[in-house]
Amino acid sequence: MKRNNRVRLLAVLGVLALVAAACGGTKKDSSSSTTTAKKTLSPGPGFDGTTIHVGVITPLTGPVAVIGNPLTSGTETWFKYINEEKGGIGGKYKVVVDKEDSQYKPDLGVQAYNKIKANEVVFAQLLGTPVTKAVLQQLRADQIVAAPASLDADWVRDKNLLPVGGPYEIQMINAADYLVNEGGFKGKTMCTMIQDDAYGQSGQRGVDFAAKDLGFTVKTTAKYAAGNPDFTAQIQQLKSSACEVVFLVGTPSDTAKLMGTAAQLQFVPQWVGQSPTWTGAFAKSPLAPYLQAHFMLAAEGTEWGDTSVKGMADMLDRIQKYTPSQQPDIYFVFGYYQARAVTALLEKAVELGDLSRAGVLAAVDKMQKTSFDGLTGDYEYGPPGTRNPPRQTTIYKVDPAKPGGLAKVKYEYTSASAKKYEFKSLP
Amino acid sequence: MPRLRNLNMTLRYEDDLKLFKSRQSRLAMVALAVVAIALPLSITDDFWLSVLNYAGITAVGAIGLNLLTGYTGQVSLGHAFFLGVGAYSAVFFGGTHQWPLPLWLLACAVMGGLIGAVVGPFALRLRGNYLAVVSLGLVFLGIHVFTNWDSVTGGPGGTSVAAPLKLGPINFGKLEVGNYAYTRNQGFFLLVWAIVAISALFAKNIVRTRPGRAMQAVRDRDVAAEVIGVSLARYKVGAFVISSALAAVAGGLFGAYQQFVTPESWNLFLSIQYIAIIIVGGVGTIFGSILGAMFIGAAPQIVDKFSGSIPLVSRSPGGSGFHLTVFQLNQVIFGVLIVLFLVLEPRGLAAVWLRLKAYFRAWPFSY
Amino acid sequence: MTDFLQLSFAGLALGALYALVALGFVIIYKATGVINFAQGGLVLLGGYLTYNVHHTWGVPFYLSIPVAMILCGMVGAAVERVVLRRMVGQPVFAVIMVTIGLLFVIEQVVTGTWGFNRLNMGDPWGIKKFTVGDVQLSVVNLWTIMLAALVMAGFFLFFRYSRLGVAMRATAFDQEAAIANGISARRVFALSWAIAGAVATLAGVMLASGGSGLSPEIEFVALLAFPAIILGGLDSPAGAVLGGVIIGLTQTLTAGYQPRYADWLGNGFSSVMPYVVMIVILLIRPYGLFGTKEVRRV
Repeated sequence: MKRNNRVRLLAVLGVLALVAAACGGTKKDSSSSTTTAKKTLSPGPGFDGTTIHVGVITPLTGPVAVIGNPLTSGTETWFKYINEEKGGIGGKYKVVVDKEDSQYKPDLGVQAYNKIKANEVVFAQLLGTPVTKAVLQQLRADQIVAAPASLDADWVRDKNLLPVGGPYEIQMINAADYLVNEGGFKGKTMCTMIQDDAYGQSGQRGVDFAAKDLGFTVKTTAKYAAGNPDFTAQIQQLKSSACEVVFLVGTPSDTAKLMGTAAQLQFVPQWVGQSPTWTGAFAKSPLAPYLQAHFMLAAEGTEWGDTSVKGMADMLDRIQKYTPSQQPDIYFVFGYYQARAVTALLEKAVELGDLSRAGVLAAVDKMQKTSFDGLTGDYEYGPPGTRNPPRQTTIYKVDPAKPGGLAKVKYEYTSASAKKYEFKSLP
Repeated sequence: MPRLRNLNMTLRYEDDLKLFKSRQSRLAMVALAVVAIALPLSITDDFWLSVLNYAGITAVGAIGLNLLTGYTGQVSLGHAFFLGVGAYSAVFFGGTHQWPLPLWLLACAVMGGLIGAVVGPFALRLRGNYLAVVSLGLVFLGIHVFTNWDSVTGGPGGTSVAAPLKLGPINFGKLEVGNYAYTRNQGFFLLVWAIVAISALFAKNIVRTRPGRAMQAVRDRDVAAEVIGVSLARYKVGAFVISSALAAVAGGLFGAYQQFVTPESWNLFLSIQYIAIIIVGGVGTIFGSILGAMFIGAAPQIVDKFSGSIPLVSRSPGGSGFHLTVFQLNQVIFGVLIVLFLVLEPRGLAAVWLRLKAYFRAWPFSY
Repeated sequence: MTDFLQLSFAGLALGALYALVALGFVIIYKATGVINFAQGGLVLLGGYLTYNVHHTWGVPFYLSIPVAMILCGMVGAAVERVVLRRMVGQPVFAVIMVTIGLLFVIEQVVTGTWGFNRLNMGDPWGIKKFTVGDVQLSVVNLWTIMLAALVMAGFFLFFRYSRLGVAMRATAFDQEAAIANGISARRVFALSWAIAGAVATLAGVMLASGGSGLSPEIEFVALLAFPAIILGGLDSPAGAVLGGVIIGLTQTLTAGYQPRYADWLGNGFSSVMPYVVMIVILLIRPYGLFGTKEVRRV
């Protein structure tokens, strides 16, 4: 009796398993539905016929949340504006932003991606190079497009990624060119100080390219690990090389510490920081006088509150309307214009009549030059092989009187060297 | 005697050592295996599959750590390092040299085991917290080596992992059964949980036999163990080797699943996370390692599912005064959950499980 | 030579900072036998509390530090009373894990209250410095060194001469015997957490001063200070300070000279060097420099 029972139970379980398995699999040859441009948009993943869902995977807690939160706020402000004033994408499809916290950890990013991907048309923000790279393989397999929130050159040639802004390399090339040709630093001793990782290397590549093109040499490169507790050694290394210009690639916490050390050790070169080295709080810190005298920032767009630039004026208006508590923050601006690019992509897909994954991916190729009204340089989209990122960089100096602590020195400076820089595709 | 067997009583010592103590437990195992095979094939939700996949990968590593820390009493904060070794072995043997699945997994285990054998002897000289923190040094040394050994690890920027997932005719990356195709997540689930099962059986077999008893003797009082003839060198180092090998297998799977790894991922937090898993699951239990991995992996996601419905919590940052977003709240709840749980049950989830089992075994006369 | 002196001064200051963090770990370990992973959280909380007392309540900076120390000490004692008191007698593992859980909570409470943005501490030191010969001595660093020395001296006097200090030592030495002699172990436990909170505040303030600014990242210093505690011996305050100084000096000197003379060791070797030193020292002295040698009975 017992034996019979067991056999029966196993048989039942086995059958159940097979049935369940059949339910979970997908018929192999079911994907051959023909996709032709239709006038009425058919619902698909993340699109129910009226609203478009876009995903955001970003650090909303932990130390990097200081970037993730304002960036996301920028994204949301832009889409609120699109929904309220434009009636949505193509005038009728409202956008909903779904946020997930990655804590800046690749594995959590992958989980978050899997969590919401079935419900998103595109990913409007993917913050962090490690997270983006961890998700990239799956983006390719799932045919989803994502907008990475970092200025890596690696993104330019990838079909599944929709970058904005001039890559870090361009920032450094322009900065070097500006110093040599307009800043009166020709023939001075050039050095670099970089965070010892992929991000640091990107800036170094830019400086090296500029050095070759403009005919100067990088005398010393001081490297440090992110979160380095003391910078005396690095500053002394640069000081003993008598560096007169130092290109800096780092993040705000390290910038604060190393600038403090440099000031105390009376090391006074011209510092040139890549955009993520800066945070507005510096302008009101004890470092401000030193930074005012010796620090320049190479970044996108224009200073906060500069209403002579249309994009900035519009953005300030919309902040008034939709997020009045927003403080000046360069990351907010980034999230805001990144959402602008995503909107351009969605508009294109709607125009082509296909909001399915394949449709959006195809729309990437059909995108044209997109203008950001001066918040960052215009981006020539299109097939990844022919994409051309903006080649201009704005040079800023520190000015505590300005809302964001920065005053532009040279707006959208475009060097000949930066135009020459070629972007390679990612394996 | 045969009649007594059905009373769930253990009458002989040999019975107590059995892998499956009763017919019911054997049946339960078979049922579990069937469910494990059916589950991924019926769930299509990539999110829960990926959570369970990461949980399974973590469980393999946690079983290893539990053998070392739970059974042998050697506190190691260096587990992340061995996971890293495994991941880069997968990059090197699986990705670069395209060895087949069983071979590169084996290579991960061997690399982990070898390096474990080098580190193990430290445990002979150092004890308790001092060992913990030397193994912590290992994590930092590891990150340093991983960062600088560009040719294998891709340097600080990380590298992609394209290890083959084919076992004979079965490709776990793209599973096909008859006329049905399954996703990578589904296939990976089968692979990962099969390895969890193998690791658990392997570990269980160690701990219920002579080496296991020796390990526990070392844990409880190493001097006494030595006096009665247990070779400290053999079992301390041996535990390190096995634990590191399992960690490396977990690391290899992690790399192969995520397809991209950076040197920074193998950091102290990861080690602490593993410690957390075995504590929450139950120190000195194999089953607890798996429960703990599932708890630490899935609890934050479950919290996230329900915290959105808590009033007065916003999903957006900003505002003034004390202001928690739902994402911050998730972590607060997770933290509080750990604290509460261990205040109420310091012996972990496995203890809860045993209590439940005892309750139902004696039902309806349980108290 | 200037280089060497400059690097040594920086190393000394860094070591003092580690020592301030380590002392918090040590006092809890000494009294309760628990490695407190929430110590980094207390450093964070202490830093932000000082900011709050100084900026929001408008208390002068030098006064705001002791006020914040008292507040953070009270938080520490409360945590002990509410959570850890219940764990007395439970496996050490479980207790350690509880401190990890607490860290999760403290982090979010701090960022929930003060936000993620970088804040300026408003300390009077800024980037001021003294120049002695060719060596620049920054005021913040001098204060850090002085405070670490003061705290260590305070610990020494406290444990040596005060009733409570002696009671703490007795409890650490043998809990049951201490209780049998009428010492309240509960008071000792609560007090050790209070002191750890107060010392953590000092560490938090010094980390965020001198232009560095206050941000959630400062909690990571607790991890950096780990080797210092182990090196000196988990249960020895003097060892914690010496351990901190050794680690600090090793780090800055390695960062200064390794790229020049031993570049083959790779980039960023200075972050690993303390561990190499630590491992070597522990292999020679398995209980740290000052740790008590455990008597093993069968």
